[in-house]
Amino acid sequence: MMENSARGSVVFDGVVKKYGSVTALKKLSLSIEPGQLVTLLGPSGCGKTTTLRLIAGLEAATEGSIFIGGEDVTHLSATYRKVSMVFQSYALFPHMSVLQNVAYGLTVKSMPKAEAHAKAEEGLELVGLKGYGDRLPSELSGGQQQRVAVARAIVLEPEVLLLDEPLSNLDAKLRRHVREEIRQIQQDLGLTAVYVTHDQEEAMAVSDRIIVMRNAEIAQEGSPHDLYERPNSSFIADFIGDANLVTCEVTATENGHSTVQVEGKTITLPVDFPRPGAAKLVLRPHHVSLSKETTAESFEGSVTYAAYLGNQIQYSLTGELGDIFVIGETIAQPFAVGDNVQIHIEPDKAMLVADEPLGK
Amino acid sequence: MTKRYVIGAAVFAAVFAVQQAAAEELSMVCSNEQDWCDLMVGAFSDKTGIDVSMVRKSTGETLAQVRAEAGNPKIDVWWGGTGDPHLIAASEGLTQPIGVDTSELLGWAQKMADISGGRTIGIHLGVLGIAYNDDVLKEKGITPPSCWRDLADPMYKGEIQVANPNSSGTAYTELATLVQVFGEDEAFKLLTEIGKNVNQYTKSGSAPSKAAARGETGISIGFEHDMVKLAKAGFPLKIVSPCEGTGYEVGGLSIITGAKNFDAAKKFAEFALSAEAQSLGPQVGVYNVPSNKNATLPPEAPDPSTIKLIDYDFATYGSTETRERLLKRWDEEVKGSGN
Amino acid sequence: MRRTITLWIVIGLVGFCLLPWYMVDSGFWTFTWIFHFAAQENSSGLLQVFLHGRFWLAGPLIALLACAAVLGLVNRPVRAARMIAAISALGLLYTFVQGLIIVRGGPRLFESLLAGTAADAGQLGFGAGAMITLLGLLFVLTTAISAMGKGRGDAFVTGLIGLIISLVGIFVFYPVAHILISAFQSNDGTFSPGLFFPRFFNSDIWGLGCLDLKGSCGPAINSVVLAILTGAGSTLMGLAFALIFTRTDFKAKPLLRVLTIIPIITPPFVIGLALILLFGRTGAATALFADVFGIEKTRWLYGFKGVYLAQLLSFTPIAFLVLIGVVEGVSPSMEEASQTLDANRWQTFRYVSLPLMRPGLANAFLLGFIESLADFGNPLVLGGNFNVLSTEIYFSIVGAVANPARAATLAIVLLTLTLGAFLLQRRWVGSKSYATVTGKADSGRHAALSSGVKAACYMTALPWAAFTAIVYSMIIFGSFVKLWGYNNSFTLDHYIRAFGVKFKNGIHLTGVAWDSYFTTLEIASIAAPLTAFVGLSTAYLLVRQNFRGKNVFEFSTMLSFAIPGTVIGVSYILAFNFPPIELTGTGIILIIVFVFRNMPVGVRGGIAAMSQLDKSLDEASITLGANSFTTARRVIAPLLGPAMMAALTYSFVRAITSVSAVIFLVSAKYNMATAFIVGRVENGDFGLAIAYSAVLIVTMLTVIILLQLIIGKRRLRRSDRVETVVVKT
Repeated sequence: MMENSARGSVVFDGVVKKYGSVTALKKLSLSIEPGQLVTLLGPSGCGKTTTLRLIAGLEAATEGSIFIGGEDVTHLSATYRKVSMVFQSYALFPHMSVLQNVAYGLTVKSMPKAEAHAKAEEGLELVGLKGYGDRLPSELSGGQQQRVAVARAIVLEPEVLLLDEPLSNLDAKLRRHVREEIRQIQQDLGLTAVYVTHDQEEAMAVSDRIIVMRNAEIAQEGSPHDLYERPNSSFIADFIGDANLVTCEVTATENGHSTVQVEGKTITLPVDFPRPGAAKLVLRPHHVSLSKETTAESFEGSVTYAAYLGNQIQYSLTGELGDIFVIGETIAQPFAVGDNVQIHIEPDKAMLVADEPLGK
Repeated sequence: MTKRYVIGAAVFAAVFAVQQAAAEELSMVCSNEQDWCDLMVGAFSDKTGIDVSMVRKSTGETLAQVRAEAGNPKIDVWWGGTGDPHLIAASEGLTQPIGVDTSELLGWAQKMADISGGRTIGIHLGVLGIAYNDDVLKEKGITPPSCWRDLADPMYKGEIQVANPNSSGTAYTELATLVQVFGEDEAFKLLTEIGKNVNQYTKSGSAPSKAAARGETGISIGFEHDMVKLAKAGFPLKIVSPCEGTGYEVGGLSIITGAKNFDAAKKFAEFALSAEAQSLGPQVGVYNVPSNKNATLPPEAPDPSTIKLIDYDFATYGSTETRERLLKRWDEEVKGSGN
Repeated sequence: MRRTITLWIVIGLVGFCLLPWYMVDSGFWTFTWIFHFAAQENSSGLLQVFLHGRFWLAGPLIALLACAAVLGLVNRPVRAARMIAAISALGLLYTFVQGLIIVRGGPRLFESLLAGTAADAGQLGFGAGAMITLLGLLFVLTTAISAMGKGRGDAFVTGLIGLIISLVGIFVFYPVAHILISAFQSNDGTFSPGLFFPRFFNSDIWGLGCLDLKGSCGPAINSVVLAILTGAGSTLMGLAFALIFTRTDFKAKPLLRVLTIIPIITPPFVIGLALILLFGRTGAATALFADVFGIEKTRWLYGFKGVYLAQLLSFTPIAFLVLIGVVEGVSPSMEEASQTLDANRWQTFRYVSLPLMRPGLANAFLLGFIESLADFGNPLVLGGNFNVLSTEIYFSIVGAVANPARAATLAIVLLTLTLGAFLLQRRWVGSKSYATVTGKADSGRHAALSSGVKAACYMTALPWAAFTAIVYSMIIFGSFVKLWGYNNSFTLDHYIRAFGVKFKNGIHLTGVAWDSYFTTLEIASIAAPLTAFVGLSTAYLLVRQNFRGKNVFEFSTMLSFAIPGTVIGVSYILAFNFPPIELTGTGIILIIVFVFRNMPVGVRGGIAAMSQLDKSLDEASITLGANSFTTARRVIAPLLGPAMMAALTYSFVRAITSVSAVIFLVSAKYNMATAFIVGRVENGDFGLAIAYSAVLIVTMLTVIILLQLIIGKRRLRRSDRVETVVVKT
């Protein structure tokens, strides 16, 4: 696992973290390329924050090794690791001014005060807070505080920037704005960034790569596109983007085609499946179409809810496929609640994943 | 990093700042009244030029400290306080023979030196007595007691205060005195009866008289010189020397075994036993009987010639054996008899 | 890491080579030893080995040099660290053992083991050289341990842990072990552990005779009942005061503040005396009630009621000091959140504010409980026939019949009770997080109290404040009258006798109190910052760091507080009267006893305050490249202003007012004010005692106000005192 040794790379080699008898991480191995923004995504308690804190050095690994920029930092204290972190709570020092906060990391490394303050000013400018230096954190809005926290972390020019749910305390509009800014700064400075979130949309929006974690281990990793298009489990399918999961039976699979039994109907999908048996059919909401016409491969359902959103209509249906969620793009002839409709699956867009109990 | 060392150095410096030069001197523990201690130390320093550092501690504390420091004492001389702990220290070898001339001293003072093998010399005599608060007794319409036996009278119920002999030397002297006056069985019978009238067995020997002075209790048993002092201070306290005869304590002076300044300590012993020094007491309200024949007796002091003093047997009643036996019996028979 | 180890090796070597190894008779700071450095008693460890043939002192030198060699020769850092840790640990152990077995007088261990020069040589106590050498070895050890990856590799943290463990070991466990051993010894000194259990479970100690309202209970039962009631009462009072301060617009807050502080700064016995003069059988208030209502004059004060009253007066302020910080720290936004959820003010208080104060309440109760258990002055003066453990222990040691075994047994009972309280408190507070100051700034206002709570607060606190005021007016009055209670004519005589000054050829301090007054101030001002430092450092380790044995560590820091002063005093004499650590008769022993007796208050206060600081603040600082020391100094310390203030004030005041431990440790040269006052009280010289107490009270008030001015400035301004929502798990 030592192939990745460039500046800014992060490598975990069989890292285990236990708190007493509780295992927070099961033998985790991962590798993060320099200059990438990698997101650790997963439901709460999955181990993503522990992973981040292990990189920062705020937790010590129970087993295994951690490398940053090729250097073994497993036993190195957080103080000496070339990483900096943006906290969920921002952790701005309430007794220092904004400028002092941003200059803090520089002054503790005994940079002369004038120089440190000049660099801190640059940092503030970078996040668009020029002129706010003399204020106290309590005098800023949430979004501004968040940007101070980012400025404080990046003025140190860390090898790796760690962000722990940095946007969770912001409102939706601001969140989109700030995440674009963070992505911009990360790309401008060419920083490696590790980003923890439980919000899949946020993860999709900012990441080069996403590592989805579940139950103290990696569930799947890949680019946002990979995860969306090729989920390896119903958990991923459900977690990344919206998906309807329909229980089905794979009867045969060969040459990149699988024959699937759904509610007594047989359909053929252009995908591989490891072996015949129980599976889940993954139907994205916009890969399902509705009409009044019955075909051999269509399923019955009735509309229980319809929401008009201007550019689309969202339907909830109940019927042969269970409760499913559909995005209809034909605005012209909307269905009404109570209408009986036929549900059509687009075989080349449908996916198959192994049948397993859903995570939370 | 460097700041840590600066702080370390500062802490270190602070710890050592108080550890200063120790000049040649006499180190004394005084178990007498503070003023008396101060006065004597001043007079002794003026006379000899020896630099005395003195601290006042009760005899119990001093004995505990001397025991703990055995082998490497910080104290040279121990002056004052009731004789029993001095005798205990002597018997445990914690103090050493002083070797001063005792010919000018009264008999009881010489006797103390004899019992202890010259390790402790008597410096003053304190007579055991009864005190009552005149105001309180008048208000309650009770007649004052004049004998030990009177104290058993039910009319004094809840009015008598006396110390617990387990914690107080004064109270033990009282116990031993009654045993010597009445014989052991009779004495315990009397104590049990008196116990019915006792409102509190205090820890400290001088507390009952102070309580009586303030009227917190009607009657107290203790040393008469304490009572004289309180009466002199203006409290309505009257003193009675019991008709059956009473015991006494002899204040002691000892030099600690292994004292670093033995010569200076001996000089102090000689000074403390001189008529000149012993005549200073009344200046600061010390009214016990000095041990030097030639010392002037303060007029307020209880005059031994008018009091019926028993021949107190220090050797027997100071011994650990007798003491433990009497105290055990006291615990069993007397302690619970009160209310 | 290398640099730090090298530095400590160098410091150790400097100590070994250049400073006198033994304690210098004339005192280190006189520096007269420099002129006779070659003389055996003055020379350094190096000269002792090579000039004076004390070959056994070469141990620490060899250890230091071996560490240096490993540092230079072994390349693999973890392996080098392991070797250095082992060598320095051996060096430390060896240095102590040789100090314990090669001694001049006193108990001598392993006598038969020694032969030749070593057997005949006597050694003096460790001096500056030994101390620096040992310190060097200790920090080499802790730095090496951190290099092995322990303590998240943080040398400051391991160093601090090592330092505090060593200090607590030497100044708490070592002396206490001396006295506790006697619980397992028969009267002639032979070791017989079989005696312990009959002693421990003796009905003398645990008797329940008072249940039928006739007999009396054993001191253990008395102590427990008293302590529980005092803990609860003082916590309740303290809470009432704290709420009035933070949640009401009560007009006379400054006056109230003074009244809550004064009992803390009152020398012992004074409250007891004042109570007697008010409520004793001939007390002023008793006489008044007798005249006006015809209530019979009784001795009700002497016993449980009097002690309880006095303890409430004495300990409510401690609870207040602990609680004010906590009550202030409860996040306004949480209260606002509650109110927006349609809770009324009472519900907000009951279900939000009060539960958030839980750690503070538990700490305040624990302190009140332990203080009450260890309190000695009040039961002594007011106890009557109500016996408690602390007085029983005292008289077992100093009574006419000394019984160290009983004293030790009672001390163990007391310890057991304290341990029980401690564990219960832990259980009750549980593992919830009460962080309310986080790095996310927002502002808000504390919810006002509901009228019921407000009325309850006023009704408990204000009469109490009035009562305190009366007690103190009595005290002041007493210092100006000839004979308190009997001859109430005005006099300045007591003050003149205590603090007289003569102007004749310069200034002469003729008052009898001056010496002890200056000594007391000097000792207290040195002890206070050290106490605050040790206490808050310990709190920092306990709240912010995880290490093995943390619970044991926490309990051991509470130990010296739990053991009554008398026991500590005697055990200090037993332990420190002989080499290798010879401290009796010095001022240092007084400083040390204060530091380690009062440190638990700093620890409790620090813990309460620090658990309200969100951990992400430290973590932010650490990930920004600051080490733990910088973090502690630049982030935590400034945010701990009130806790620091409390620790400083409390330890300063306690150093001036404590008596039970001190009474054995004062020496002719270093006499303390309290020991002096107690002597006066014993002799019935109340006027002088009270005049002296009054001067001490004024002195302490002045110092507290000065401290508040200096440290108060560093507190967060109201506008940026941040508080917020997040209660993380």
